[in-house]
Amino acid sequence: MVIFADPLNAMLQTDAYLSDLLRQSQTQTIRVRSEISGWLQELRQKAAYEVAHQQLPTRRDEEWQFTDLSELKAIAFHNPPAVNIDPETLASFTLPEARHSQVVFINGVFAPELSDLSALPPGVFVGNLMGLPLEANYDAIKYIAHQDDASEVFTALNSTGFPDVAVIWAEANVTVEMPIHLLWLTVPTPNPALIQPRGLIIADPGSSLTVIEQYGVAIAACSDFTNTPPYLNNAVVEVFTRDNARVNHTRYQRESGSGFHIGKTVVVQERDSHYTTQSINFGAKLSRHHLNIWQKGPNTETYLNGLTLADHSQIADTHSLIALNHPHGITDQLHKCIVDAQAHAIFSGKVFVPQAAQQTQAAQLNRNLLLSPQARVNTQPQLQITADNVKCTHGATVSQIDADELFYLQSRGINAEQARDLLLDAFAAEVLDRIPLASLRQRLSQCVACRTEELFV
Amino acid sequence: MSATSVKTLVNQPYKYGFITDIEADTLPPGLSEEVVRLISAKKNEPEFMLEFRLKAYRQWLTMSEPNWAHVGYPPIDYQKIIYYSAPKKKDGEKLASLDEVDPALLETFEKLGIPLSEQKRLGNVAVDAIFDSVSIATTFKEKLGEAGVIFCSISEALQEHPELVEKYLGTVVPIGDNYFAALNSAVFSDGSFVYIPKGVTCPMELSTYFRINNGDTGQFERTLIVAEEGASVSYLEGCTAPMYDSNQLHAAIVELVALDNADIKYSTVQNWYAGDENGKGGIYNFVTKRGLCKGVNSKISWTQVETGSAITWKYPSCVLVGDNSVGEFYSIALTNNCQQADTGTKMVHIGRNTRSRIISKGISAGNSQNSYRGLVKMGPKAKGARNYSQCDSMLIGDRAQANTFPYIQVDNQTAKVEHEASTSKIGEDQLFYFAQRGISSEDAISMLISGFCKDVFNQLPMEFAAEADKLLSLKLEGTVG
Repeated sequence: MVIFADPLNAMLQTDAYLSDLLRQSQTQTIRVRSEISGWLQELRQKAAYEVAHQQLPTRRDEEWQFTDLSELKAIAFHNPPAVNIDPETLASFTLPEARHSQVVFINGVFAPELSDLSALPPGVFVGNLMGLPLEANYDAIKYIAHQDDASEVFTALNSTGFPDVAVIWAEANVTVEMPIHLLWLTVPTPNPALIQPRGLIIADPGSSLTVIEQYGVAIAACSDFTNTPPYLNNAVVEVFTRDNARVNHTRYQRESGSGFHIGKTVVVQERDSHYTTQSINFGAKLSRHHLNIWQKGPNTETYLNGLTLADHSQIADTHSLIALNHPHGITDQLHKCIVDAQAHAIFSGKVFVPQAAQQTQAAQLNRNLLLSPQARVNTQPQLQITADNVKCTHGATVSQIDADELFYLQSRGINAEQARDLLLDAFAAEVLDRIPLASLRQRLSQCVACRTEELFV
Repeated sequence: MSATSVKTLVNQPYKYGFITDIEADTLPPGLSEEVVRLISAKKNEPEFMLEFRLKAYRQWLTMSEPNWAHVGYPPIDYQKIIYYSAPKKKDGEKLASLDEVDPALLETFEKLGIPLSEQKRLGNVAVDAIFDSVSIATTFKEKLGEAGVIFCSISEALQEHPELVEKYLGTVVPIGDNYFAALNSAVFSDGSFVYIPKGVTCPMELSTYFRINNGDTGQFERTLIVAEEGASVSYLEGCTAPMYDSNQLHAAIVELVALDNADIKYSTVQNWYAGDENGKGGIYNFVTKRGLCKGVNSKISWTQVETGSAITWKYPSCVLVGDNSVGEFYSIALTNNCQQADTGTKMVHIGRNTRSRIISKGISAGNSQNSYRGLVKMGPKAKGARNYSQCDSMLIGDRAQANTFPYIQVDNQTAKVEHEASTSKIGEDQLFYFAQRGISSEDAISMLISGFCKDVFNQLPMEFAAEADKLLSLKLEGTVG
């Protein structure tokens, strides 16, 4: 008799809640070309196996010790029915610079009638997996779920049931001047919905892309504290920047005040590539953003900028990981949090510099501003270094608005309230100014002003 | 420098690695309730102590070894460790004076540079010498007694001042604080006890010297320092062990209590045997050190120079309860060959206007791993609390590892926390600059390292600063080629 030793089976523990989620996720259907349906089935089976052998993390897990998912677990999420929205609702999300390079997904499903891709130059594909040309240079199955860490429980859950795949693909040596606006809109349904957006951004060798990725909820008003029915947005976007490619990726999350957002951005960087991201987290009752960078070649440059704004009783968590493995990499990370009311911001930033990554320059800075007595911050910058010929620094600060700075401005005749707004604006601007679109910069800066103003005492 | 000269220089012999051949009164290896009772009985302890130990032992049984530290080691068999070993006394009676101490022991400490006999001892440092599980001798007791300071081994304190021990023991590090603390609470053998009465500034430096001799013995000592209102004391601790191929466990607890306006300065120069260049042998140094700033304006300052041990797992911490209290942590952790260190501090701010400062310097060479792990926690009532942390790492060789794991938790808007960390190596240009001025690379490196560690050396008492500086250059000689 052969005894089949399976390490995963050995620790099989059932998590009833996760099994339910998995069952919901698995009922999701996707339309793909028959050529790849076999591959997809295999992917889903493998992912389902991985989910079935894991448990939903709890605060006892080191990676989740500050982020409590029990509120999430109190809600049963279901597969959402197909919905549509009218173009007027969409208008408020459109960015003037990207009016004709806008691709819209409703509850994770491509909405061609709402998308406008008329301004795209040749050599770039924007759409969904179904629409991707059947050509050798658009071989998506070589990329989807091919990142390290694809078995992480939420990522695997997404793989078991994503209803569509957004694809942005720049061919070799194509420079796409205009920003591409990838809009993930959620239409909450009375029955709490499980929404699983999946994206694939590929910059082939020598190409250049600017992507604005936005998560929003399809209601006309300011979404932040509108009470929609709860929903869970479990998003995964994979970015491949190949040799010499450049990607500038702005990720803007503004879920509704009762939504849960668990998002992952995985970036694979090959030789001489550049990846810049501005990750803006404003919305959701509970949000968690995993930002993982895997370096697969030398000479890469990575710039991660992040701004989190949390108030009321929001929990906003960002976990970033930069795994270097080749020489001459440059990484620079700036993550800022503004925390008000009873909100709780969490930041954990890992930087791995193994022996192979000689001549690395890595810098990381996390700054937190607390605006109220009950606001909380947990921060954990982490450096793990085994290479000696490197320059690595990290820093973290937590404070309230500096009394000296306020006084200085007041001594110039600016009243306390304005001085405070000015300082807050400047704090946010350090990150927002790096967004390549003027209209979005302005919109976000207004949003910061509006969100922090009302609570001034 | 050529590769061969580098190699020969790295292999600096550990000069404290000798073994003292002495008859010992040793319990068989293994741990059970009976062993705990036996230890307590051997030391003729009061009833509350036995209960303390048994409670700890029962709690330990329910706990599991922590695994979050960034270190790796084979599982420890707790039934193979000897929990009590003491040099045999000639007649079982209490020693009246130093002259009755076994000359072999005195010689051991003399070899270690800690002369205990009257004519040779250091003029201004009182020493408590601990050999395996028991305290051998404490010097200058009478002189300290005149000032009202109690400085003796904890076993002695249990006989003579049980009320003080009962009042403070376990108040800073509770019995079930962590796995190793529970183990220590159950089986601790000896350690130092210091009590500084109200308003007294201790007239001299106090010092404890720990020596592990037996190859299978675990050393579990327990130090308790209490500074009453307005009192002030500076305390030093040093440690060495012979070279064995096996690993020995050292799980100590240090508790400090500072009442209103009191000031405690605790310095450690840790030089346990670190194992050979292949990582064989060496001490597992799993220590819980914690200070409680109980009173207002109190201050606790930790200074540590960690150069030895195969594995170090140690976080001297401050719990800042009293308003305006101050916690400080100055550390140099040096790892070479296959050593692993996961060390740092915890600063828990509870009272108002509490301040803390963390300066940590890590130097990793060879194949070693050096991690800084530190927690800064600002409680909701710690209005106006401040923290500043700086952790610098220096890497020597491309196989050494330096990690930083700071945890910052702020529940208070008025608190201010700053953390900075950097990693670097000794630059070619720096060495070139020295060479230009006719200074050899060896000297240049030792100067650069002294410079790198200066902030911490400045905190050590004079003689120890000089010794620590020398220790570092000795340990690192030839590691840079």
